[in-house]
Amino acid sequence: MKLAIISFAHMHAFSYAKAIQSYPGAKLAGIYDDDPNRGERAAEDFNTQYYESLDVLLSTDIDAVIITSENSMHKVHTVAAARAGKHVLCEKPLATNIEDSLEMIRTCKENNIILQTAFPVRFSSPVLRAKTIIDSGELGEVLAIKGTNRGTNPGGWFIQPEFSGGGAVIDHTVHVVDIMRWFLKSEVKEVYAEVDNRFVSEKIDDCGILSMEFDNGTIATLDCSWSRNPSFPTWGDVTLEIVGTKGTLSVDAFAQKIDVFNERGHKYHYWGDEMDAGLMGDFIESIKEERIPSISGLDGLKALEVALAAYKSSRQKEPIQLSQV
Amino acid sequence: MNYVLIVGAGTMGTVHAHSYLNMDGVQLAGIVDIRADAAKQLGQQTGTRVFPTMEEAMEALPEIDVIDICLPTYLHLEFVKKAAQFVKNVICEKPLARSIDEAKEMIEFCKEKGIKLFVGHVVRFFPEYVKAKQIIEDGGIGRPGVIRTSRGGGFPAGWENWYESREKSGGLVLDLLIHDFDYLRWCFGEVERVYARGIKGREKLDYTLVTLKFKNGVIAHLEGTWAHQGFSSSFEFAGEKGIVDYDSKKAVPVHLVRHVDSSIQTAGVTVPESPLKENPYFQELQHFIHCMNSGQDPIVTCDDGLKALEIALAAQEAMDTNKPVFLKSVKEELTK
Ligand SMILES: NC(=O)c1ccc[n+]([C@@H]2O[C@H](COP(=O)([O-])OP(=O)(O)OC[C@H]3O[C@@H](n4cnc5c(N)ncnc54)[C@H](O)[C@@H]3O)[C@@H](O)[C@H]2O)c1
Repeated sequence: MKLAIISFAHMHAFSYAKAIQSYPGAKLAGIYDDDPNRGERAAEDFNTQYYESLDVLLSTDIDAVIITSENSMHKVHTVAAARAGKHVLCEKPLATNIEDSLEMIRTCKENNIILQTAFPVRFSSPVLRAKTIIDSGELGEVLAIKGTNRGTNPGGWFIQPEFSGGGAVIDHTVHVVDIMRWFLKSEVKEVYAEVDNRFVSEKIDDCGILSMEFDNGTIATLDCSWSRNPSFPTWGDVTLEIVGTKGTLSVDAFAQKIDVFNERGHKYHYWGDEMDAGLMGDFIESIKEERIPSISGLDGLKALEVALAAYKSSRQKEPIQLSQV
Repeated sequence: MNYVLIVGAGTMGTVHAHSYLNMDGVQLAGIVDIRADAAKQLGQQTGTRVFPTMEEAMEALPEIDVIDICLPTYLHLEFVKKAAQFVKNVICEKPLARSIDEAKEMIEFCKEKGIKLFVGHVVRFFPEYVKAKQIIEDGGIGRPGVIRTSRGGGFPAGWENWYESREKSGGLVLDLLIHDFDYLRWCFGEVERVYARGIKGREKLDYTLVTLKFKNGVIAHLEGTWAHQGFSSSFEFAGEKGIVDYDSKKAVPVHLVRHVDSSIQTAGVTVPESPLKENPYFQELQHFIHCMNSGQDPIVTCDDGLKALEIALAAQEAMDTNKPVFLKSVKEELTK
């Protein structure tokens, strides 16, 4: 199976490239990047070919592409790949608005290709274990979830809304909302959010607390803030505190770490399983078996809707019903 | 010597009683409880005389200087007013009352009579909370941005299950989260709006998540739980330049684990402890006694208690209506 990567704008491109190269039978056949320097360097690093032209890359015999361009470019790149008949694994958030997401989903469907949203947290071993526990009924009915997906200001195009579509809220809402939907098998019905700019000097949302209610009545909150500073021992977190009728479940996706203290201060070194390999494997197997991918474009859209509703709620200072988006 | 009468020999009455026992210049003179066995037990533990009513206690002990109300919340107003007939100083456990009207009535009644009323918002005396506030005030985290707190454990056991009745206790938001409302207001000033979601209608299971937006821009997220096992509390203050982080589950200097005793049919018992020479309740009550004698203003006033109550009731309203509640200041309405 031949895969290509469209753009190294998003740093996840590096771990996806590694995941492709270590997957048996998969080959990283090329890289396109609108920044030739970045593209050529990446091609050199991963010992593959750099393409100056997306059309040329898409006209080769590759099977699929990984899209890790700026959020605002996801649509153009996905649509081009779909028209060329290449399957797409698209970095989250799926797009910066609903219309683009819908067009991406539609075009992929029309061209009969797989569109998968990159939600690697679904492949985190602790998160998978939590899913098994919930599905077994051990927790009883899930009544509430308190989630965090905090991080560090990524800088660059992430804090330029014309490329990113927004700051912390669009960046860090979608992962955990996706996990909550997946756990609960239910959709978000209502969102209230406090969103602000309190950490970075650029004018962009860098913190937010979302409160949600799901169709099944479960309530949830999510802290999506870029509130980790450079001296914090790690980049951020994914945690879920789950309250059920029969017990509680605490999940910390990156708790498998050792603490290192040296001249650089105190840092966590993670030793748990890598999630990106799982995501890549799932994408490749879906293509091989011609099955529906375990994470769809629609999943990407549903998570994006919540992030956009959070922005709207914070502007209007009232809860937003999801159908209103 | 300051002579103290405790009313209510339940959980808090017991904690307060043991605090007074070790306090210089203070004598625990009497304990009142309508439950004779509860009164007797605490009386024996502390070597203190016990009475079924405040009236009987005051008749037998005319020297009492301060009455300490450790009764279920719905009885606070009635018993604070009653105590105000006998003494010049009244201590009342938090929350002051279940409603703004009740709390105001209590405060105004005491003010008119020249009675000093103290409210037991003990979190202001927990050294970890005091230290965090100090670090923030010293600029340790730069401008504060997002604050997270958590508090709770199992569903509280009380006399006649009074905690289960929202009418009597105010429920989790009023009874438990009021600690953090008061503490955060102490740190960050007035709250502008409140949003809250909680689980509803479950027996002996309660859980609420609250978001506060302060006038100074700080966003706070509070977790209150009566759905977990074992009490714990935590906070994290993230600012522009730094983070202050505390979790009682991780700051455990002494942790006893008893082996499973198969004959008793229980799992092993684990008892985490955080020993201090003077526990926060002791410090709080000693401070109140000091304020009584010196005329100094307490670290937490009954107006603070009223403000915390206002935030709690707003959170409850937000939860009931599914809408954010914007606070209007009750301070102006208070008679000076
Ligand atoms: N500061 C804290 O950390 C903290 C912790 C727990 C409770 N509290 C507060 O303390 C207060 C008491 O709570 P608790 O858990 O001790 O309750 P509890 O149920 O354990 O004790 C209440 C006691 O009052 C007695 N009582 C009831 N009616 C009486 C009456 N008319 N006259 C005399 N005695 C009477 C009962 O017999 C019982 O012993 C509440 O307001 C609660 O919110 C504060």
